[in-house]
Amino acid sequence: MSLRGCLSLSAAFALLPTAIFAQASIEGRVELPKSHAAPVMAKRYEIVTHGGVLSTEPPVAVVYLEGFFAKPTSLPLKQIGQKNLTFVPSLLPVQVGTKIEFPNFDDTYHSIFSYSPAKRFDLGRYRPEERPIPSEIFDKAGLVTLRCDIHEHMRGLVLVLDTPYFVVSDPEGRYRLRGLPSGHYAVKAWVDSKTTREQPVELKSGQTAHIDFP
Amino acid sequence: MSLESSPGKSKTAAFRTKLSAAMMLVIAAITAFGFYLAQRNVSHNAERELRENFRTEISALDKLLALRQSAVTERCRTLAANPRIHAALEDNAIDLLYPSAKDELRDLMKNQQPSADQVASTLHAKFYRFLDNHGAVLPAPNPPDFGALSSAAEAQLALKKLPETQQIGYVTNSDSSGDTIYEVTAVPIFSTETGEVISALVFGFKPLEILPQTGVTGMKSGIWANDRLHLPSLGRSEAGSLARAIAGVFTDLKQGKKSLRVTVNGEPHLLFYKQLNPASLFPPAYEICIYPLAAPLAQLHRLRWQIGGAGGLLLLGGFVASHFIAVRFSRPVEQLAVDSEKNRTQRRQAEAALASTTERLERSTRYSADASHQLKSPLTVLRAGLEALLSREDFNPETYEELSTLLHHTHRLSGVIEDLLLLSRMDTGHLQIDSSPVDLSRLVEEWLDDLEALPDSLEVKIEKEVPADLYVAGERRYTSLIVQNLLENARKYNRNGGSIRVRARSKDGEIHLEVGNTGPPIPPDAQSHIFERFRRAATGSGVAGHGLGLNLARELALLHGGDLKLVRSENDWTEFELRLRAVESETIRPT
Repeated sequence: MSLRGCLSLSAAFALLPTAIFAQASIEGRVELPKSHAAPVMAKRYEIVTHGGVLSTEPPVAVVYLEGFFAKPTSLPLKQIGQKNLTFVPSLLPVQVGTKIEFPNFDDTYHSIFSYSPAKRFDLGRYRPEERPIPSEIFDKAGLVTLRCDIHEHMRGLVLVLDTPYFVVSDPEGRYRLRGLPSGHYAVKAWVDSKTTREQPVELKSGQTAHIDFP
Repeated sequence: MSLESSPGKSKTAAFRTKLSAAMMLVIAAITAFGFYLAQRNVSHNAERELRENFRTEISALDKLLALRQSAVTERCRTLAANPRIHAALEDNAIDLLYPSAKDELRDLMKNQQPSADQVASTLHAKFYRFLDNHGAVLPAPNPPDFGALSSAAEAQLALKKLPETQQIGYVTNSDSSGDTIYEVTAVPIFSTETGEVISALVFGFKPLEILPQTGVTGMKSGIWANDRLHLPSLGRSEAGSLARAIAGVFTDLKQGKKSLRVTVNGEPHLLFYKQLNPASLFPPAYEICIYPLAAPLAQLHRLRWQIGGAGGLLLLGGFVASHFIAVRFSRPVEQLAVDSEKNRTQRRQAEAALASTTERLERSTRYSADASHQLKSPLTVLRAGLEALLSREDFNPETYEELSTLLHHTHRLSGVIEDLLLLSRMDTGHLQIDSSPVDLSRLVEEWLDDLEALPDSLEVKIEKEVPADLYVAGERRYTSLIVQNLLENARKYNRNGGSIRVRARSKDGEIHLEVGNTGPPIPPDAQSHIFERFRRAATGSGVAGHGLGLNLARELALLHGGDLKLVRSENDWTEFELRLRAVESETIRPT
């Protein structure tokens, strides 16, 4: 894929409360693997595996800025619901310490658990009307694979990041990070469970750096 | 005969012995062959029967095994589908693997042991272990929950690589209570995401046992694995010796021998085996069944006795039969030997008799010839002297009478000597007949004239019926001698006032001349001897004669191809018949 220069201003999700102090931005494009016409598992699920590698379908990337940032005093509550026997959203990047609720929107039991090293938890079986909504705090950086003990095909990914600056690209791989502090950093692009690309970046206030991940 | 036949008897005995020996050899060969066949048959049958039994057992075992395997497979499929186990394996949460499986497989590890016949239907594992993606054993965090296993046994569960299919193996667990063998089944766990084999679950079971069926007693079954024998029904020491025996021949087993003979407890057994896990990633293990051969051996023993007995009886019968047959066969041979011996003896005797007769004959012939010659010369001298004396005239008449009588006797003597000479020539075969036609009629006429002219006191009437011109084949001298003899005898043995009848006729190419005369007949017991030399019938003792005439006449008649017979001699009548070959008078006429 060699399209470049055509910078759209498509907005990334404004997730950061500190954006008002942000002075620098990064935009660019992550080259994503081709979309599989016929994924191994059923199409309707967004997390697929190829040879044990988890990724989204269609592929998207999570781009984030790595560095030492001050711990926020409070973090927003997030939600990953189970709807039509899928996790919605199927891929959710969060900052370390974020609490995620797992509401059940189906008419059946779900039993969400994870054996991932970054977060092991087991919510047990629960119905949609379960209150309080079962939740977990993700306090360790890493990729957490969500599974359902009842619906073995259900997969969800929580990418726990030790940074407040991250964004999910669009299906073409385009992204834009805004309100970034100036300085030397590493900018990373998570593509799948085995692939995270990295580029150094020099951020200057008021400027927009252009970083592509080929 | 008893002395003569002893070599024949010994020959017969030898023949009989040979015949008996041959028959016994045949019977012995038949018996031995019977032995061989029976033995082969019995052992083949026994082996086939046992193999059949083994096959049945094995197939039953295979069925049980298959049943268990399918149950295991099903369980593993379910297990692999379990998201927690999947998660544990895929998310590398190995510590959570066993705890996750524990709930799932809780029923497999129930403590109560199913009964033997339920082994197959109820899946009861002794232990289970996971293999990692390299085939190595993932150690269980709390072994008692997953079946305690020695580390050596656990090491046996490892495979070089993860299997694509179910693998069966046998591991030996040694602990304080001894060796235990487990049947293990490694079931691959496929990733539900990738379809790849990400792990394997190895279950350990109590091995299925062949349940001894009725009908086959003493059958013992076990497993040969890891160079060890697991035969629980066998004592430790016996198992040990059997294991050594099997280890010794295991290369043979691998080379496709289907069975082998082993000795257990000092008793022969037949061992069958079948690999339990062909083409397995685990080391090969064999199901082993040993069957005691006591029953077939006993049968064989019994059969041997029977055949031996039958062979013995047959041998005995054969001996008797051969004896009789030999006797039967040898009787003609014996008879032949005896006969030939008798014949030889007879021939020897006959030869000896012939030789002596010939010698005697020769001697007598020679004697006759010599005597004739020796007598003839002095007789001639004597006659000449007497004739000279008779021609003198100075003697008185009594002297002349005397001299005349003496001369007559010399003539008689001369006749005897002539006859003897002739006979001896005939006896030696030196007399040659110079055959020519002889006028028999004339000959008879001449001799009758001579007879009438004899100076005799007897008054004899002569009847003559002789046709003229009867010719016979012969030499005149001898034919004449015959006729002379007959006619002289007819006159000589006649009585005073008697008669002589001479008849001749031609019949069947022969001339028959009958000469009959009156007078005392020849006694019946003497009649058969009258033609013998120096024989004279008692009746004629007073008559002059030397007993050679008839003999000579007959010999000459025979020599001429004719014959001389006494026709009758009875009632004052004695009649001879001479037969001589006739010559047709027409053939004579030109001469």
